[in-house]
Amino acid sequence: MSAGPATTAPALKMGGRRLPPWVATTALLLPAYGWLLIAIFLPLGAMFLFSFMTATPIGNKEIGYTLDQYKIFFTQPYMWQVASWTFQIAFATTLICALAGFLAALALARSGLGRSQWIFLILILLPFWTNGLVRIFSWTMVIREGGFLDAVVQFVLPEAGSVGFLYSRPAIVLGLVHGYLPYMVLTCYIAISTIDDAIVEAAESLGARWWTVLGRILIPMAAPGLIAGSVLIFVPVVGAFMEPRILGGPQGVTLGTVIEDSFTQGFNWPQGAALSFMLLAVVLAIFATFSGVLRRNAQW
Amino acid sequence: MKLSRRNTLQLMGGTALAASMLGPRRAFAATKITVLNWQGYGTDEKWALEAFTAATGIEVVHDYFNSEAEMITKLATNPGAYDVVLINSARIEQAAGQGLIQPVDFAKIPNSAGLAPKLKDHDNMQYEGETFGCAWVWGMNGLGVRDGKTDPDSYAALADPAWVGKVALFDDAVTAVGLGALATGQDMNDPKDLEAVKTFLQSIRPNLHNLWTSEDQWNKAFAANEFDLSIAWSGGVVRSFRNGGLPVHFVVPKEGAIGWLDGLAVPSTAPDVDAAYAFINYMIDPDFYFRWATEVGAPASANVDAMAKLPEDDLMKQVHKPDYIDTMSIMAALPDARRDAFNALWQEMKAYYAAK
Amino acid sequence: MKAFGRLYLCLLIFFLYLPIGVMIAMGFNASPYYQLPFEFSTRWWNELWQNQDLLEAGRNSVIVAVIVTLIATPIGTAGAVALHRREFPGRNFLRVMLLPPIAIPWLITGTAMLVMFYWSGVGRGFHAMLIGHVALAIPYVVLVVSTGLQTIRQDLEEAAMSLGSTPVHAFFRVTLPLLTPSIIGAALFAFAVSLDQFVISYFLATPGYTTLPVKIYSAIRKGFTPDINIISTVLLLASMALVLVYAVFSKFGAGNVRR
Repeated sequence: MSAGPATTAPALKMGGRRLPPWVATTALLLPAYGWLLIAIFLPLGAMFLFSFMTATPIGNKEIGYTLDQYKIFFTQPYMWQVASWTFQIAFATTLICALAGFLAALALARSGLGRSQWIFLILILLPFWTNGLVRIFSWTMVIREGGFLDAVVQFVLPEAGSVGFLYSRPAIVLGLVHGYLPYMVLTCYIAISTIDDAIVEAAESLGARWWTVLGRILIPMAAPGLIAGSVLIFVPVVGAFMEPRILGGPQGVTLGTVIEDSFTQGFNWPQGAALSFMLLAVVLAIFATFSGVLRRNAQW
Repeated sequence: MKLSRRNTLQLMGGTALAASMLGPRRAFAATKITVLNWQGYGTDEKWALEAFTAATGIEVVHDYFNSEAEMITKLATNPGAYDVVLINSARIEQAAGQGLIQPVDFAKIPNSAGLAPKLKDHDNMQYEGETFGCAWVWGMNGLGVRDGKTDPDSYAALADPAWVGKVALFDDAVTAVGLGALATGQDMNDPKDLEAVKTFLQSIRPNLHNLWTSEDQWNKAFAANEFDLSIAWSGGVVRSFRNGGLPVHFVVPKEGAIGWLDGLAVPSTAPDVDAAYAFINYMIDPDFYFRWATEVGAPASANVDAMAKLPEDDLMKQVHKPDYIDTMSIMAALPDARRDAFNALWQEMKAYYAAK
Repeated sequence: MKAFGRLYLCLLIFFLYLPIGVMIAMGFNASPYYQLPFEFSTRWWNELWQNQDLLEAGRNSVIVAVIVTLIATPIGTAGAVALHRREFPGRNFLRVMLLPPIAIPWLITGTAMLVMFYWSGVGRGFHAMLIGHVALAIPYVVLVVSTGLQTIRQDLEEAAMSLGSTPVHAFFRVTLPLLTPSIIGAALFAFAVSLDQFVISYFLATPGYTTLPVKIYSAIRKGFTPDINIISTVLLLASMALVLVYAVFSKFGAGNVRR
């Protein structure tokens, strides 16, 4: 949507002299990327180097270089299964968030709430400000056998058995959806709130049914929000380990927990780093695959 | 941990006690030491620190770690930051080998006279003929059993259909492999037959309800009746029973518990070695231990005098029988290759459990 | 349809606040282990106010989060503007580079920072912690503000320029007001990222300086008590009151009228 006009960005005028455009571009980019370079890219670059080492480079051990850590999927075949669980969880979480978040943004923007839609939006974002771990422990209270959910169900249907599903992959997805949904609501809302009512009304007056409005107007216009939200959810969820551990119990084995274990229990940085970078590569590959779709609709 | 706050009310008493115990105030004016430990593990009890500061003038601040690997990392990347570090004796060889900690000067720790010789001079504490850690407390990973259930006498119960869906394991590679080794009659620090360990751990799957990683998680799940039989920390079980009223007791099965010994060490770059020793001395003091054990709940002290101070009917004392010091296996330093093998096996087991 | 939308929003808010309700309830439950049946007690409430460490940790967290938000939001916004309003080689590469800080688990990034800061002499301390927090917040700000920039009609800015405005003037007078909701949203996320950031504070802060998440995460090994729930509740209610009051009495919603 915003591709073309950027080329016409004229030079900055400052103190009567014209500065070349790259000066302004650099000035805008430098703080963000300079900061990221020092605090993230250099350290991660070092971590990338560690991933080829034979042992954690702390202490006075002989360090050699090896590709072994990148062969973990062949030396430990169960890792394929772990990866498959991880991506199932991540896809499920992202899809549910996309659906629920898009509908929430739609409801916010188009329910005639007026200015109070800000109040609703903030109410939706604020749970984000509580500690993640406390929230997860609270979920265990709700969904465990004999927990609050069971209490409510049995109050309505005294004969019903337990519906508790703690220590399962759906429980992990629930916790992750709860934790990451606000991203999707906000990004979708930002996109949808710019849609002109007149367009929708015009479409409706021309006889467009609701699914036409949805498919031809609302979803395409919300696309930048859906995409940004999906990035903000899918990418961190693939490496999540807190939710899988506490809500997943024995089922909570994911790439995130394996990575965490190799740093905490194993003191094996090379292995954890190698796994992280393989994870990153897969995530980038997924986004590269979809980038054709992305480019048509928006940039992220 | 949780009683520490209530204990602040009794601060005045504690201060007076400590002052009388440490004798005349020594000259440590305006000194500050930094201790690296798990959070809520004795050294940061508020009443104790206030008593210690009142008696010596040394102020104590804490930095925490969440895994032994992080402890090593923090020591290595923060030279000069720490004066005292809590170290599992199984990690002494690694830390000393990397030059992170210095040999202990027991002359500066008068209370060390009371340490059980077996623990004070334990192989784990030694590196190249010198002692690098001052034995502090020991404990066991054994079975935590819900009151009212039949006490199992063997780890085999973990796989017994009688406990189906009611078992929890500690999510820790060394403990899990140690458990499998003991259950199959092997040396837990060097099991030769890892296949047997694997078979035993696999056999627990139908019974397994949860894996716990922290005492907090254990408490909350046990309080919610999630499981009846679990691998548990001896000190944790006593704490949960005494402070939280949870119906649980500790059982050492016939194969023996997985023992561990924690020490206090002085990093080689410690800024204030004398103050560090003063603090270590206070930590193995019977009076400090008495209060820690009876009001908060602690593992067993390595100091014989401290254990003697506990009343005979004290639960801590009953659980941590002195005989165990001689009979139990204690987690020892693991060569890198073996540690990696343990971790790989446990990771594979977790994936196996998850595939249920 | 509108009633349905409102109903949906209420259900969603119920879902989002369900565990928070549990958190508050357990803060007033006598059992330290969230044990049921529920037994009302103000024990943890009272203990919180005696627990100076915890109160200080809570205060530190808020201070750090505010500073991080104030730094990361303008920096990230500038970056987003450059990525979306200016053409330059390597633009797509820079966009892709926003992903690693989000994709690599914080534990790994934190460890890497600790080692790198140690080697490079940055060391530990408030400054190091701040550098880390801001860095992790920046990608979130850029991504959220970018969403806003893509949905704002750029022809308005061009119209202003064709009428003689300088690009800077046109940006500040036309685009920035339209972008305000996105920037506020981005700031809320930057705040949240910092407020819940544990690994970085824990590795990089001066020993003895704690924030709430550090307290909580390092307490679980031995068990944390429900006074954590109380302080989380107090923080949440305070921020809720602040933001809502601000929203009601300011021109907060003005950015919404944007056609």
